[in-house]
Amino acid sequence: MHVIRGIRGTFQPFWVTLRNMFRKPVTIQYPEEKQQLPERYRARLILTRDPDGAERCVACHLCSAACPVDCISMQAAEAEDGRRYGAWFRINFTRCIFCGLCTEACPTLAIQVTADFELAGRDPLKLVYEKEDLLVDHCGNNNSYNFYRQSGIGVAAPRGTNPGETPPADVKDLMP
Amino acid sequence: MPTLTIDNQTISVPEGKTILEAAEALGIMVPHFCYHKELGAVGACRMCAVTVHTGPMPGVKMACLIAVEEGMVVTTGDEASVAFRERVGEWLMLNHPHDCPVCDEGGECQLQEMTISSGHGIRRYQGEKGTYTNQDLGPFIAQEMNRCIQCYRCARTYKDYCGGRDFGVMGSRNRVFFGRFKEGMLESDFSGNLVDLCPTGVFTDRTFRFKSRAWDLEQADSVCPQCGVGCATIPGGRLRELQRVRSGDNPLVNATFICDRGRFGSGYANHPERPRQARQEDQTVSITAALTALETQIRATVKQHGPEAVLLVGSDRASLETNWLLQRTAKYFGCRVPVLNAHRQRHQTAQMAAFDLSERLASLQDIRSSDLVLVCGVDPLAEAPLLALALRQAVRKGGRVVVYDPRPVELPCDADRVAVSPLALQELLADGGVEGRHLCDLLSQAKNPMIVAGADLLGLAGLQNIRTWAEKTSNEERPCLVYPVLAGPNSFGTALLSLPEQDDLLTRLDSGKVKMLVCVDADPLLEAPEGERFAAALTRLEQLVVLDYLPTSLSRHANLFIPTCPPVEDSGTFINNEGRLRRFQRVLKPGLSLARTAAGEHPPREFSLDTPGSDPQPAALLLQRLIGQEQTLTELHRQLVLEQPRLASLVKLKAGEAGPRVVPAVARPQSLDPLPEQPAQTLELVVSPARYGGDLFSRYAPKLEPRKRQPYFYLHPDELQAHGLKDGDAAVVETDFGSFTLPVRSQPDMALGCVLVENSEAFPQLIPGAGLGYCVISAGGTNE
Repeated sequence: MHVIRGIRGTFQPFWVTLRNMFRKPVTIQYPEEKQQLPERYRARLILTRDPDGAERCVACHLCSAACPVDCISMQAAEAEDGRRYGAWFRINFTRCIFCGLCTEACPTLAIQVTADFELAGRDPLKLVYEKEDLLVDHCGNNNSYNFYRQSGIGVAAPRGTNPGETPPADVKDLMP
Repeated sequence: MPTLTIDNQTISVPEGKTILEAAEALGIMVPHFCYHKELGAVGACRMCAVTVHTGPMPGVKMACLIAVEEGMVVTTGDEASVAFRERVGEWLMLNHPHDCPVCDEGGECQLQEMTISSGHGIRRYQGEKGTYTNQDLGPFIAQEMNRCIQCYRCARTYKDYCGGRDFGVMGSRNRVFFGRFKEGMLESDFSGNLVDLCPTGVFTDRTFRFKSRAWDLEQADSVCPQCGVGCATIPGGRLRELQRVRSGDNPLVNATFICDRGRFGSGYANHPERPRQARQEDQTVSITAALTALETQIRATVKQHGPEAVLLVGSDRASLETNWLLQRTAKYFGCRVPVLNAHRQRHQTAQMAAFDLSERLASLQDIRSSDLVLVCGVDPLAEAPLLALALRQAVRKGGRVVVYDPRPVELPCDADRVAVSPLALQELLADGGVEGRHLCDLLSQAKNPMIVAGADLLGLAGLQNIRTWAEKTSNEERPCLVYPVLAGPNSFGTALLSLPEQDDLLTRLDSGKVKMLVCVDADPLLEAPEGERFAAALTRLEQLVVLDYLPTSLSRHANLFIPTCPPVEDSGTFINNEGRLRRFQRVLKPGLSLARTAAGEHPPREFSLDTPGSDPQPAALLLQRLIGQEQTLTELHRQLVLEQPRLASLVKLKAGEAGPRVVPAVARPQSLDPLPEQPAQTLELVVSPARYGGDLFSRYAPKLEPRKRQPYFYLHPDELQAHGLKDGDAAVVETDFGSFTLPVRSQPDMALGCVLVENSEAFPQLIPGAGLGYCVISAGGTNE
């Protein structure tokens, strides 16, 4: 039995090689040629904007809380209209493991993954992205969601005028 | 003690406890909102449904409202109660906005927790959400009324527990609104408790707005250093910045409440002027170099001029460990015993509390359940704010509060207030008279009488008389307890450590023998009377060494300065007014906050090993390094207990504990000096700490600015008229400590024959607690 298995093991690899010699190669000539990656590929993170063009990120710290490697840090601040936003926002891509948990945690769809995996360099500091490096000028994979129009606290529109809200209650009204 | 069964576990609880409390004792969490252990239950939220299987009316009941009965069988996880709670969770969420990401309560929100524990997850209701218009409630509290679930906890906290009068419930049906009648700053000195008590994000800390998430904060059990009450606090910081203080839980002291001064007065830790570098003659040096220089200088001075030449000064805001190490340092270098409190009179009264009153000290919890509290010479809101809350609880339970004080004492409760001048109060306590006998009778007849004694105003003689009164009115059934109100967080501790015959700072300085003064966490210029005499003595010194964490003027003038750490950056022990050991734990490491070093921008991109501004070290550690004996806190405590057996419980004490009392001491023999005569044509001078800015900490707390008041000389309107003055006129007041010019204010609620002035950063010249003082007031001077 051992002899037969030995002979088969000797010839089978040759057969595999021979069979593939006449097939079209799958290798692409990276970096001259780029591969078409799946739509949901997880690589470089971005901060998107809402349909009105404002920053989506409200610096709620949920992404940094979800991050298993602690590569996200930020500080929230308040704008004059009461909007909470990130005064600074930093992702350290030398630490990031591209698990995408931050995008799952994000309640405002601000942080999203892109297929841009080309994150390499000799200087690690160039991989520490600040807010201006992360913020993009589009809505990412969702073109409709605006957190502040759904949140019900009157930042994007006056209180009681957002979808699904009644006008502010008149607390001095005595009507039943 | 009825015994009941909850979820197949049996427990016996005291009569009158509710099912919710019994379940809590078993470790079973029943979701709830409106119930709070200090506020009680009102049954407003309907969340705590459980099923009772026994008794005449079994079925789903509210656990917070049903008192336990013998043999009761309760389940919390059965189908009926779970379904009930899930529906309640769902309807509480009907109008709640979808804004947890931008809500400061997120992460420590009871609504988040209870909604999840109730089982409600997916919104089914398709109707519209109700909204409200918010109010601007001032610089401390931010309101977001849309988040309200109508549990009434805020109104119960602010109005019922804290006695605030400018906040309440308005509206009807689903328009119920919690706020002020008009927009404006909340007036109560306990407004910050709304933040802790609100189970959701309706009331959040405006000074902490959007600064950090609860889970990112570095937090530890600490003790508020801003007065002698010793409230449990939980300070929280992030990125080297102390960002907020919230109340801890100590049922014997502050329950779960703290005052606004403690909550919003934490700015000293990150004060921009806080000294963070050791300095020797205007040259920046390292801590190690400074310590070496200090050691050499002490040795040289002692060798050259003898043990009297080096004077070490401790402080009632430094921890017990620091003060004790100071005594050890003195022994090590062979100098005379240190002065642990620069303020002689305050030190004497604190010793009175620590030794002679130690058998009959009341706790705030005792005061909360007292039926008669005699308050002598205390303005609780200025000197010990949580005492005012305790008095209110006593009144709410049917007790009576009688206040004898020259000041217009405001209390958040009904009280019988008698405005008497300090001298008249001393006479009343000493000799009694009809009024005194009447008060003694009242105390004797009361079931649970307490005397609250202000050490600053009463002084040594007053406290001795208070002790006599307490002895007189005690009987076999119950003692009459005394709650002394001392000035600093560790006044009791410093007094307990020092020997009774210790002489005072100024006498020793004026003897001319002192060549080198080492002040540890102390500024006698700001914390002790006769500042001018002290300043004159400073010029005769060869060396002034200051170890401090506050940017006081003394620390700027020191020949050698070494930065230390405030309590939030240190671990140690304070002993509070009631003789309770209170341990605090380090919350943050010292360092310049990122908000300052990065100026609002992102943190520096380059990595570096050293933290800017991280030089300061706890004073206790510095002293240990100075004498070359670095020990762990436990080792230190063991040795301290050997020397001071009264502190026996110190070794096992942990932060966050209620704290044991010090062992009572035998009272010392007393001698009463006769009261001094009031000079003719004078008025009595009453110096009181300001409510905000009276203690050194709140002077360096920028958040408290909106509450600080301008200094005035307050006089009774009749007194104003007699001196030909009008409200707002500038007046010159000549005192033993110099003459001062301030505008006058008429104050009809204060005693006749007195001039009242508040000590604050705007008027730091006169220090409270300097004993009976007299002054002459005249019109004139320029209105500054």
